Amino acid sequence: MIQTQTHPDAPSGAAAFEPKIVGFLCNWCSYAGADKAGAAQMSYPPNIRIVRVMCSGRVDAQFILQAYRDGADGVLILACHAGDCHYREGNYRATGRHRMLLRLLAQFGIEEDRCRFDYVSAGEAEKFVRVVSETVEAVRALGPLSRPTAPENNRCPEGCGG
Amino acid sequence: MRTGVYFCNCGTNISDRIDFNRLREELAKLPGVAYVKPVGYLCSEDGKQFLETDIGRERPERVVIAACSPREYERAFKQVLERAGMNPYFLQMTNIREQVAWVTPDVEQATWKACAQIRGAAARARLHQPLHKTELDVCRDVVVIGAGPAGLKCALALAEAGRKVVLVEKSPVLGGLPVRYEDLFPNMECGPCLLEPVLGEAMHGTHSANIEILTMAEVTGLKGYCGNFQATLRETPRGVDAEQCMGCGECIPPCPVSVPNEFNFGLDTRHAMALPFAGALPNLPFLDAQACLRGKGEDCTLCRDACPVEDAVRFDQGPRVLERFAGAIVVAAGFSLYDCRRLPELGYGTVPGVYTSLEFERILASSGPTGGELRRPDGAAPRSVAIVHCAGSLDERHRPYCSGICCDYAFKFNHLIEKKLPGTEVHHLYRELGAPGKEEFSLCQQARHNPHARFVRYAPGGVRVTESEGGPAVEYEDSSGDRGRVRADMVVLCPAVTGAADGGKLSRLLGAPLDRFGFFEELHGRMDSAQSRIKGIYLAGACQAPMDIQRAVSQGMSAAGYVLSALADGRKLEIEPITAWVDGARCSGCRTCGEVCPYQAIDYPPEGREASVNALLCHGCGTCVAACPCGAIRGNHFTDEQILAEIQAVLA
Repeated sequence: MIQTQTHPDAPSGAAAFEPKIVGFLCNWCSYAGADKAGAAQMSYPPNIRIVRVMCSGRVDAQFILQAYRDGADGVLILACHAGDCHYREGNYRATGRHRMLLRLLAQFGIEEDRCRFDYVSAGEAEKFVRVVSETVEAVRALGPLSRPTAPENNRCPEGCGG
Repeated sequence: MRTGVYFCNCGTNISDRIDFNRLREELAKLPGVAYVKPVGYLCSEDGKQFLETDIGRERPERVVIAACSPREYERAFKQVLERAGMNPYFLQMTNIREQVAWVTPDVEQATWKACAQIRGAAARARLHQPLHKTELDVCRDVVVIGAGPAGLKCALALAEAGRKVVLVEKSPVLGGLPVRYEDLFPNMECGPCLLEPVLGEAMHGTHSANIEILTMAEVTGLKGYCGNFQATLRETPRGVDAEQCMGCGECIPPCPVSVPNEFNFGLDTRHAMALPFAGALPNLPFLDAQACLRGKGEDCTLCRDACPVEDAVRFDQGPRVLERFAGAIVVAAGFSLYDCRRLPELGYGTVPGVYTSLEFERILASSGPTGGELRRPDGAAPRSVAIVHCAGSLDERHRPYCSGICCDYAFKFNHLIEKKLPGTEVHHLYRELGAPGKEEFSLCQQARHNPHARFVRYAPGGVRVTESEGGPAVEYEDSSGDRGRVRADMVVLCPAVTGAADGGKLSRLLGAPLDRFGFFEELHGRMDSAQSRIKGIYLAGACQAPMDIQRAVSQGMSAAGYVLSALADGRKLEIEPITAWVDGARCSGCRTCGEVCPYQAIDYPPEGREASVNALLCHGCGTCVAACPCGAIRGNHFTDEQILAEIQAVLA
């Protein structure tokens, strides 16, 4: 395992902050859009880690929270365009959950730019590259996600053990 | 747990951009990774053979393939695992070509990104469960709803393939709407002539024994799912014994009742004992029980008295309720026209002489209310006809779409008006004009070159039909803002094409949803327009979208093709195991899952409070899994644990 202070993707010796982004991509549109960007050999920042799901509707809020806890500085949820969902309306569920989650994240001081939802179709290689690049830059500008360093700080002050 | 990692060089596509040795060094540190092996081209026959042999030798418990997109070869590699004696769902592919090698110019960065993606794949693969496809016996019979061109062709194709078909038609006559049109665009073929051979084949042809035709019948219930539906059908008594009746029509004239004739859209009247129109098939009159005096307590027997055959007229028939098993349902319920009373400025229903296009079709038809003479049923022949195109179409307040068929039939009307009454003025008022297709242009050009035809492009909402002395007057504002007025003896509206009459009721009954315009919603607009959102329910014809006869018939054939490949002879129905399932002990019965499921795949059995997923109907999207507030629904192959492990590992 690579144990460095900076992001593992950072070229050796560089101390600059390299954000880690987890991207949840739906199998039918956005994942195919990412494949298309690959087939066209369009380069984009290597900071994204792609997790494939069958539908953006599968993306549970706990996945996003877990990603932050495990070290992600930002999360990207990419779905089929409105009306194009392979499963009819999973993308609508995903937008709804995303809007709700943003309100929750704000209460924890997690900025909106760290949790981006967007639509990328199977043909939109350019858009995929643009969305990933913009997200990486936005999160880079925000800096690392500050999270409690010691588990003690995470304890419930009421002493419930949670 | 032994995990074997195979790294595909993809020639040099991957190996040039990712440092394999460095990657192997990193991955070897992972718990459970037994080996990391490079392969030249894993997708080649040699590569797959190597994979099969190597799995046999190494006996890994999980396999990770780092190669191209799983969208390309995942199925092929799953088959290799199966051949090597492993459960195919123990495979996890990760895409280090399109999503790493080809998009990351820096070798070191690409190597680390690939490491992260493979770590994620290995972490999730450890949690993969063995999954198995299940097989189910299916019923190969089919219920087709609607006997218009689409339903007829579909039923006939299925019958020819040896399938038993129940063809359910709600009206007493077969052939749908086009059988009532005297002439069809684009080449003025006669509607009944076009359909009669098909009807003849369905009713008395080589394979007609395979088709059970029910008229005046409807589906009243549907249970089950793809492969095993049970449909309840209700047949209204016809009042005429199909076996005895020879179709002479002697029973019709004595009937003392007179009601509006729906087969001519109320332009004339018919008796309670009636034949829809001359030449209607089946050639059997029907007794309209609602209109018949017997239903009002009178003992009228005039029709029976006139009948030369004993027992052909039957007053004692009751409705028949039939249960039919079927593997698939084809919905070919047809279309209806936008209700023009919602466009009060066009005068329909208030200004005499304003007709819808369907009414005008009947005025032109020799079996219609005027015997094919072009005149108002209540008056004289017109000297001037105004055709209002796009009535309710291309209009956000009504229907935003183009109905696609109106221009074609409006040009046909133009041709018929000129043929029947040469010199009659025809005013085409339109928003947009179009006549795509290799034959359709000809009627369009003819209309354009008709010296008595005038074309006016009107502004949105720019037509008003009012009553004036001697007939309707059409006031308009054209697209450049100029106003004008024409006198017309007849005004023909071309209303927007809308979904099937009673589509909402049928949709609720079948569980197959409608789109926002009231058409049956297709699985995919381009690739799967003959499939509904519900497995085993197919769509044919204008109940899915506005379309002409050619498209409707093609879609009917397409639906038949879907049925024949889904319920192929000698094959059971295979069910993919990537579906959701409910852990009953954790389910609170809140029914959130049922609300989010796009496929009605979730049932709530009456005996318990827990939900259950019908694996046959489930498409495996996982929306319910994410929505379940109790964590009671699990998504096979995309479990919370698997996805969380992948998240953690890609970030490690």
